[in-house]
Amino acid sequence: MALNYDYDESSETWPFFLLTVLLMAVLPLTLLQLRALFSSDSDSNNSSSAEESELSSLSKKYTPPATADFAAKFQHKGTSVLLSLRSLLCLVGWLAIAFLVQRISASGISGSMSGAGAFDPYEILGISSSASDRDIKSAYRKLSLKFHPDKLPKDLTEAAKTAMEEAFVQISKAYEALTDEAVKENYLKYGHPDGPQTTSHGIALPSLLIDSRASLVLVVLYIASFVVILPYFVAQWWNRSKMYTRGGLHVKTAARFASCLVNYKPSQVVTVDMIVHWLSRAEEFRILFPGHEPLYFENLLQDYLHGRDSGSAKENEARLRCVAKCHTLLHGMLEVCCGFRNLEIAIATLDTFKCIVQGVPMSRDAQIMQLPNVDAAAFHEGKVDDICTLGKLFTYDNDKIGKILGIKDADKLKDTLDVAAAIPHLQLLRADFVVPGEEYVTPLSTPYIAIKVLVRSAMHRVIPTDKFPAEMLAEPQDFEHMKNPFASMEKQPVLPTSYAPRFPVPRRNAWMCLLALQKDVRILQTPYKLERLSLANMHNHLDKRTVAKLGPDFDPHQWEVASIRMPLGQQAPQEVGAVHMRVVIKATDYFGADLDLTMTMDVREPPRVDEVRDDIYADDSDDGDDSEADGESDDEDSDEEYTDIDTDTDAED
Amino acid sequence: MSLLYNENSKKLSLPEERIEAAKAAGSLEALEINLEQVNKLAAGIIGESNPNFTPQPNDERSKMIKSMFESGLAQLKQQKLVEALKNITLAVELAQRSRMPYEAFAIQLQEIQFMMRHKIDLSLLTGRFLDALQDIEFLMNTGMAQSDVFIRKADALLKLRQYQDAAVCCERGLSLFPNETKLKALMHEIKRNLAEFNGEN
Amino acid sequence: MDSNSTFEGDFHGFNGTSFNGTYGNSTNGNGTFTGAEDKVETIPISFYTPVLYAVILVVSLVLFSRHYKQQRLRQLAEQPDIFDEHDAEELYREIKEMSQTQKVHEKVLKAALLNRGAEAIRRTLKLKELGPQIELMYKSGTIGEDYWERFKAETKVVEAEFRDSIQEAEALQPGWPKLFATLCQEICFNQALSRRYHSILARKEVCIKEWDLQLNSDGTLKK
Repeated sequence: MALNYDYDESSETWPFFLLTVLLMAVLPLTLLQLRALFSSDSDSNNSSSAEESELSSLSKKYTPPATADFAAKFQHKGTSVLLSLRSLLCLVGWLAIAFLVQRISASGISGSMSGAGAFDPYEILGISSSASDRDIKSAYRKLSLKFHPDKLPKDLTEAAKTAMEEAFVQISKAYEALTDEAVKENYLKYGHPDGPQTTSHGIALPSLLIDSRASLVLVVLYIASFVVILPYFVAQWWNRSKMYTRGGLHVKTAARFASCLVNYKPSQVVTVDMIVHWLSRAEEFRILFPGHEPLYFENLLQDYLHGRDSGSAKENEARLRCVAKCHTLLHGMLEVCCGFRNLEIAIATLDTFKCIVQGVPMSRDAQIMQLPNVDAAAFHEGKVDDICTLGKLFTYDNDKIGKILGIKDADKLKDTLDVAAAIPHLQLLRADFVVPGEEYVTPLSTPYIAIKVLVRSAMHRVIPTDKFPAEMLAEPQDFEHMKNPFASMEKQPVLPTSYAPRFPVPRRNAWMCLLALQKDVRILQTPYKLERLSLANMHNHLDKRTVAKLGPDFDPHQWEVASIRMPLGQQAPQEVGAVHMRVVIKATDYFGADLDLTMTMDVREPPRVDEVRDDIYADDSDDGDDSEADGESDDEDSDEEYTDIDTDTDAED
Repeated sequence: MSLLYNENSKKLSLPEERIEAAKAAGSLEALEINLEQVNKLAAGIIGESNPNFTPQPNDERSKMIKSMFESGLAQLKQQKLVEALKNITLAVELAQRSRMPYEAFAIQLQEIQFMMRHKIDLSLLTGRFLDALQDIEFLMNTGMAQSDVFIRKADALLKLRQYQDAAVCCERGLSLFPNETKLKALMHEIKRNLAEFNGEN
Repeated sequence: MDSNSTFEGDFHGFNGTSFNGTYGNSTNGNGTFTGAEDKVETIPISFYTPVLYAVILVVSLVLFSRHYKQQRLRQLAEQPDIFDEHDAEELYREIKEMSQTQKVHEKVLKAALLNRGAEAIRRTLKLKELGPQIELMYKSGTIGEDYWERFKAETKVVEAEFRDSIQEAEALQPGWPKLFATLCQEICFNQALSRRYHSILARKEVCIKEWDLQLNSDGTLKK
């Protein structure tokens, strides 16, 4: 086959090439921009819904002016999607595309030429490809009569005449292709009755670049792009990807956190102060403010927690910038803690998370101190009862609460109470290990954890588990659910922005779910992050001060039972017996919204087909004490029905 | 950056400027612990006449500790709780101070755990709940996980009004010893307190 | 520099196959653009062009690798040690040094060596315990490669440290090493026990602060 490389002398192909390249870059960029535009729209839609505006507007109201200024200064860049550099790039890209399209269509007649290249004898003869020899012959005869040069009318123009002649040649060729053996072979082999055709391959570069003078420039450009620029960007990307861990932590920070855990001595008490001390070693702080020692950052963070002035306006701003980094850092530290399987430190890390988000030090009364307007001195002085929790606070009437917290202004007290009532608490209803499609956990099966909770306000009266009918607490049994038990979690609404006025960046609360073995209190798997949960119950009216007892008119269906399902990172053990696990569900943003429970995975032999289930249960009490703690327990554990500890960990009475 | 050596006492110490420097670097504690360990070891080895001394426990010291401990038990029999606690504390202290680090670990561990359990009981009886709690933590840290340790820890935490921690401890105890009635009773008590604490009754 | 010479060798071999290429030898068959045929232009390319190309390539690669190696070394040096301090080892060296200028009781030196050996054992155990966890974290991308490399290196360092201690023991008292190792093990555990015992007081203080406890001087709770 004759090959022929042509440069794009007449500038026909390169616009196509350029157009493709441009579209490849501009289209995704535009889609991204549009998505950003729409998601920011829907965000603002969300926030107009009742629950969102309540807490976030209070959060805004109580934001200290310095923090608000800071947020305005550092957040404004991201907010206007329309006027960003990216949008400008999009615009330029589309303009260039428009220009190219215009140019192509101006010189675009050539496009029709390429169509003539395809040769289909059946189409030319106007018959179907399954036509018989007789049909072919008759079609040819009819057409040749019509187009034969000798039979043409005399009054035709020159152009029309040539066209007719051309058509006649085509018809003859088509006929030959279908009847003459040699021509047919040519047609089958090369797609054309005349044999091989020349193919021309264009190189989509404008001719001015190929001129002898410019070719040197092109070569230099070529070398520069493939030898210098491309490797440079690849190296940059590679370095950057190696510079940060999967969790978005600087590798040096991750190494330092790991180092802290390696050097941690079990004789130390794990406290929030210790975590803050570790946190201050983060490389991110040093990148922000080079030349400072960790002690400087530790002091800044401690000043922030205790609401102290850090000295100058510059330092106060530095402090906010450091604080704004902390949530990423703490998530990273949590990941490292879980890597070292240390539950105690992981819990302290999440406590630190709350402290940082709320800007209050860790204390017994942190639940109270996270509220706005609380006069700490008055609260501590006038303390009669042991009031440390929001639940306890709501056993008093509003006026008394005002006195306890030292709030005299009625409007301020209302805000305080609104915040206190809007902080979501979790009440445990039921917790199980579930194997989809099985009734209980069998050896080596793959269970997941299903926890039923009631999202409630501290103001609500506690609703005992038995008030809910069993079907509300059961796992769905439909096929969709069994296929992917976690899919329904994604349908829950995203948690709204938190009340966190001192934190310089808007926060959304999340619950981190940690799982540890009770035997050695070691963490089993990476934490599960719960970011979606319906807060519909928060608006229900069940004020414990007005509703003394849940009467017969209590309707459980007005309440939404939430499901927390998390995957178990490993299979059930091979041996039958009970495995006890501790599940710690801790909110990142609010004090008092946590849950800590023990779950028992009771691994039993699968039922044999010919046996009644009860027999198996009796069967296992004989060998049911393996996988139990290896403490020198002298009492033999007979397998009593103690499997209920998971369900009665909540305070039900 | 040097060390000071006293030829008479055969003890090493840190010069002032080194203490300052280590303090600034935050490494003083570790350095002091190490120096103390060396001093203690040196004192012990100098006392040994046999250069090939073995990890045998020293009988004389065992006797001394034992007698101190037993005097504490005697006072306990006479219901003198505070005095008994004092003597047992002294016995524990004596064991820690006089025993050499190279004396057999198994024996030292057993000895201190045994005495500590008595000390914890006395601390709880005399209302020293924080002392008891920290001694229990020490026991748990040395690998003790019997049911009575959990009972005592949950009790101490309850008395210190750390209800949440008490519940966590009790639950762990119950998962390791599901039939321990005392733990079940404690769990009930803790739940009651926790509900009160959270205003949920 | 070894790599450099092999590069050169490769490069000569590469140069042997000369470029008698098909430049300007465009075969225009029965093409459609018949007019282009007489305008074909030959661009003269010097023999040195490929040589120059190869030299530039090799030199840039060598420069890059050297730069990269230096950067790696610097990064590794910046990595924090796995263990915060090396007091046990340093104390022993200092005392040994001191014994050369000043009279130090021989048993003080032995004591420092035992302390050093015990610490080496503690570190060996610690690294063994943490090894699988750190490897898992490295594989899951929680910690970077540098730390993982550093950790693996530390395992060897600690091994060498214990071997060195044994050698020193032999030098101090011939025939001692076997007993020395046993002693170190007992010391290691007992020291851990006593560190925990001595931390009780500090822990109490932290608890009083954290839980805001009001205690009487004898340790009972204030009513």
